[in-house]
Amino acid sequence: MRPIAYYRSLSTLVAFVAVFVLFASLSPGHHFIALGNIEILLVMISEFCIVLLGVGLLMISGEFDLSIPSSLLFCSFIFLKLHNIGLNLFLSAFIVFGVGLLIGLVNGLITTKGRIPSFITTLGTMMLWAGITSIFAPPGAERAIDASVLPLFRDIFIGEVWGVPIQFLWFIVFTLISGILLHFHRFGCWIYITGDNREAARAMGINTDLVKIICFMLVGFLCAFSAIMQSIRAHTFFVGIGSGWNLMAIAGSVIGGTFLSGGVGSVPGIILGGLTIGIIENGLTMLGISYFLAWAIYGSLILSYVLFYMYLGKKLAVMGRWRG
Amino acid sequence: MIENQGLCAKKEKLADMVNIHKWYGRICALKDVNFTVGYNEVVGLVGDNGAGKSTLIKILSGYHKPDKGEILFEGKKVVFNSPAEARTLGIETVYQEQALAPHQSIAKNIFIGREMTKMLGLIDGKKMNEESMKALRRIGLHLRSPDIPVESLSGGERQGVAIARATYFSAKLIILDEPTAALSIKEAQKVLEFVELLRDEGISAVFITHNLYHVFPVADRFVVLSHGEKVADVGKEETSIDELSKLIVS
Repeated sequence: MRPIAYYRSLSTLVAFVAVFVLFASLSPGHHFIALGNIEILLVMISEFCIVLLGVGLLMISGEFDLSIPSSLLFCSFIFLKLHNIGLNLFLSAFIVFGVGLLIGLVNGLITTKGRIPSFITTLGTMMLWAGITSIFAPPGAERAIDASVLPLFRDIFIGEVWGVPIQFLWFIVFTLISGILLHFHRFGCWIYITGDNREAARAMGINTDLVKIICFMLVGFLCAFSAIMQSIRAHTFFVGIGSGWNLMAIAGSVIGGTFLSGGVGSVPGIILGGLTIGIIENGLTMLGISYFLAWAIYGSLILSYVLFYMYLGKKLAVMGRWRG
Repeated sequence: MIENQGLCAKKEKLADMVNIHKWYGRICALKDVNFTVGYNEVVGLVGDNGAGKSTLIKILSGYHKPDKGEILFEGKKVVFNSPAEARTLGIETVYQEQALAPHQSIAKNIFIGREMTKMLGLIDGKKMNEESMKALRRIGLHLRSPDIPVESLSGGERQGVAIARATYFSAKLIILDEPTAALSIKEAQKVLEFVELLRDEGISAVFITHNLYHVFPVADRFVVLSHGEKVADVGKEETSIDELSKLIVS
């Protein structure tokens, strides 16, 4: 018998292909699959999915992070500030990575040591970082980021390799790293077990607090990385960065077969869920349908997915292959 | 109080808890309890709710420290600061609330926190699968595959996985905390078979239960606790289920 995750990823693949084919065939002049649009998609989806990877792993460990938009906002704000005081871009990037890790550490420490549900912790930090940023960032008063002074830096974050946007290559790199970590490394086993049965994990000697804190820090780091990419691409810090990504990331993870309660999920599933969520907004625009409908579609996708698995779960339980 | 010292002469003691006292605030949970487990012996620890059974074994497995008294393991005085320290010496506990991760595979559950790795912490899945099947066979549990998630096993099989995990890591003493509670008669029977196989493997066990009918056939000796005190310590041949039940309710 194959693991449940296998079936779940498979059905997410079916959903992705269906949505993709639908957009490709319905968009006027098949513009959805035009080279230009694919390139835009690769950039936008990569920026989102890099963050999503962290969110997925964190969710498997049994926690989630609402503070993503604020982390992105805060990181890109710090990056701009460092740039404006004339700091070397590479050095600025490393500092921003540190800030991202710190944001994750704060979320992790409060959640695990304070025994506070991560929903509340990250709701708090979401408001906190956004508030701090808006105090210090009067709109329109910032100098644009000019990465062309340091072409190497620009090429690392928003360049192209053999015609493929480098953001997409970074996405693949992060996917491979998190895939190996989750599925082939002992730390991955600890993530699953921590999310599945925390008491069991503790009784068997796993430091579940540390596992969760590392997952939170991973999300923070990936937010910092994505924030730098977006800041350079947009040439500045923008307030709308990552808006709604916290919920979209949860949607992507759930459609990818991750349990909100933890313990179940896979990197292939998370990626496919992210790609599905990622193409919907763009595809709708191509069809000339309001962007706001995208949220209605995310919602319907999640609900139908969950209901489908409820049904499938009962069927499989009858067949004696899978309980719950 | 019925005592039988003949069954556990000094050198035959694997674990020896001497004059154990434990208070929770002003409540005395254990009062001067002596508890021994011999080599290759299954001890039934019985008593009503609140009699102190759980407290006693939590001290033996390193969860609590006694307020007074000492523990000897294999003849040496030991002090446990954590369950991990007790585990290193070979005292494994199979908990009532099963310490298994339901959605993970049998192999992953057997190796929780002690995964087999190749290099850089990468797990050796193949070896873990083989070894877990071996561990399961050792206690007479034959399952189709080490890949199936634990939640698709029956209650008895799950206890089997937990017991196999304990035996795999060369436990000398396995503490079974209500292993047959909430199991059907047939499933409970399976668990009792695992316990008998443990003794054949040379592993001692403490079997904690309310259910005398489960523990009586498999244990060699019975210790009855009542209100934090030991009221009986008898070999199987000298007692009966009736006598034990009278002691429990006394």
